[in-house]
Parts: sequence; structure tokens; C-alpha cells
Amino acid sequence: MADVQDVLVLFQTTPGLDAQVVAWSRYEASKGPGIKDLVEEDEPPYRNAMAAMRDGWQVIQMSEMKHRPPGDAAYEDGPLPYQTVLSRFNPMVNDQETE
Amino acid sequence: MSEHLLSAQQMAQFVGSGYLKFEDMVPRDLCAACLEEMHHNMGYLAVGTPFESTWPKGTALGDAFRLPQVKGLIHSLVGPDPLYDHHAAHLVKGGVMKGPDMHQDSVIDFRENYFDIQLSLFPADTPDEMGGTFLIPGTQFRNVRTSELTMYQHMRGKIWATCTAGTMYVWNTRVWHGARSNHTDTDRYMYKMRLNPTQPQVGLFDMSDLDNPEVGAALSQNHGWEGNEHRYELMRRVQLWRFVSDQPTYDIGERFLRRREYNPAAA
Repeated sequence: MADVQDVLVLFQTTPGLDAQVVAWSRYEASKGPGIKDLVEEDEPPYRNAMAAMRDGWQVIQMSEMKHRPPGDAAYEDGPLPYQTVLSRFNPMVNDQETE
Repeated sequence: MSEHLLSAQQMAQFVGSGYLKFEDMVPRDLCAACLEEMHHNMGYLAVGTPFESTWPKGTALGDAFRLPQVKGLIHSLVGPDPLYDHHAAHLVKGGVMKGPDMHQDSVIDFRENYFDIQLSLFPADTPDEMGGTFLIPGTQFRNVRTSELTMYQHMRGKIWATCTAGTMYVWNTRVWHGARSNHTDTDRYMYKMRLNPTQPQVGLFDMSDLDNPEVGAALSQNHGWEGNEHRYELMRRVQLWRFVSDQPTYDIGERFLRRREYNPAAA
């Protein structure tokens, strides 16, 4: 059976690949098509994207700097501003279409 | 009433972190009666009407939300005569698992110098494995659209309700939050009540300790997720603190708001 793509998203407050991770998400398709029970994780799997790269993850998207408009709009607070998307192929753990 | 008002330090904690936790807020016997009523929870009452006249009397839940310590808490944040917004008995049945659930309730809400509160009563002991509601402290100033936040599965600073019966959380309705899996065979309830202010939320708490140095510390708290955003979060917090504490020139640390306000050319 072919390996399946897993995706790891690291969220940051600065755009570099060496930036601290402040939030993270796993889309591990090798384990199933959804997340039934989110298990708490106190710490991210890697301190930054570069640490993940050293563990076999490939960067498939990194963030661009943001253009900040003048005036109060520059202070807008919304989602976390930056993210790095990483990919790694892993053996299928469960080929059932269950979540 | 005054003995149940929030202190300035507590209010600063609310402004900085978006929530406060109070153990033993509702006696256990009253909690048990509340829990029984929750099994028969009805839908919303009249949204936007005075809480006092709308909220039922002569019931356990009616009594619980009128306890002096609860009224003091409400008074401190939204004043003595709030409006009923809505309530709900949130249930996670025993054995029900939850995937990513982070969301923000209060969407498309850009009112300046304004916040609604949500009171969350846990009527039964809620151990970790029962999966109490989680919050991301300090996120109340960040605007998102409801459940797009599920993209953040894990986030530094996350806390969750692990508490004894009668514990009440009060939180700014904009704090990012969600439900967790219930790994026990016992149903878990969290009873929420949302209230709106009817007056400017200025000086409603006990301001006798405004000079407490812990106020600045509470406003400056770093919850772990802010990173490079911390100073912008701090500016938001100071703006709200200026309003609720009636100190229009208050600032802190490096006085970041001065960077926007000091300009001789504009005088």
C-alpha cells in the first residue's frame, strides 16, 4: 500500500522557519479521514519548522511578510498571523474510512 | 453587595486574560437541584430583556444566579441591571468524544468599550477526564468567524475547567473556547448564561485598589501564544482598562499607546 501524505501546520507570530511555534495542527491522513478525539498536547511536536525539517518534514508553504496599512487598521487583531505547512508521507495505519 | 464586587486586581485579570474562576460559588445542594433542572432545560427566553424580570424565580437556577456573590460578580462587569441575552445547558454525554472544537461565540462584534459576559456554572465535580470547557486566555480581542478556529487544534496557553461542583467561570464572550471529550460514563453539564450591560462599564467594580502593582502585572500577562503579538495585545488591554477604570491616560511599561497619541504636530 502506498504511503499517505500527513500534514503538520505550525502557527507562528513571525514568518521565519526558525520562529517559535505558538499553535499547531495535525492532519494525519495516514491514521484516518478525521479527528474523533483530540488528545491534549502541552507542547508542539517541534520547537520550530526547521526542527521538523530535520525530522523528515518537507515545507510545502511558508508565510510571506504582511503589508500593514496605515492608520488604526494596522492594529487589527485577528487570526494568528503566520503559518508553515509541512508534509511527510507515512504508511497507512488504518485503511478504514472511519473517523 | 460591595463585599462581593471584584477588586481592581481581579478586574485587571479579567481585562488581561478574559476570564476569572471562582470555586465554591454555588453551594453543593443548590448545584444538585440545578443539575436536575438542567435535564429539562428549555430554550431561550426573551433575548434582550431585563435579566431580573426575565430570569425565572423560585427555581434552583433562578436562585443560583441571584446569589449575592453572583450578583456582585455580575454588577462588577456589566452593572446591576443587565439584560438577559441567552442561556444554554451545554451537555457532553458520557463517552462522547470531541475533535477540534475551538470557536468564538461573539462574531462580527466590533463594539468599542463594550463586552458581554458569559457565566459558566459547573454543577457537578468535573475532573480532567470529564473534559471541561477549554479557553485560550487573552484571545478576547482577536476577531475571527466562529468555527474557522478549529484549524487551531492545539495552542499554547490553553486552560480547561477541571473543577469541583459549584465552580463558576466568568468570561468575556469573545474568548476562544470549546468543548473537550468526555472520557467518563457520566454526562457532563456546563450551564452558561450570557448577559449584556445596560450602562457604560465604567467603575462598576471595587476601585479602592487601583494602585495595586498587581494590576499592571495582570494586564501584562503573557499566556504563551502571543509571541510577537504581545505588545499589540497589551495595547488592547490597556485601552479597555482605561475605560473600565475611568483612567483615560493610564498606560504601562513602554507606554505603547503613547506611540499613537503623542504628536506635537497634531496639537
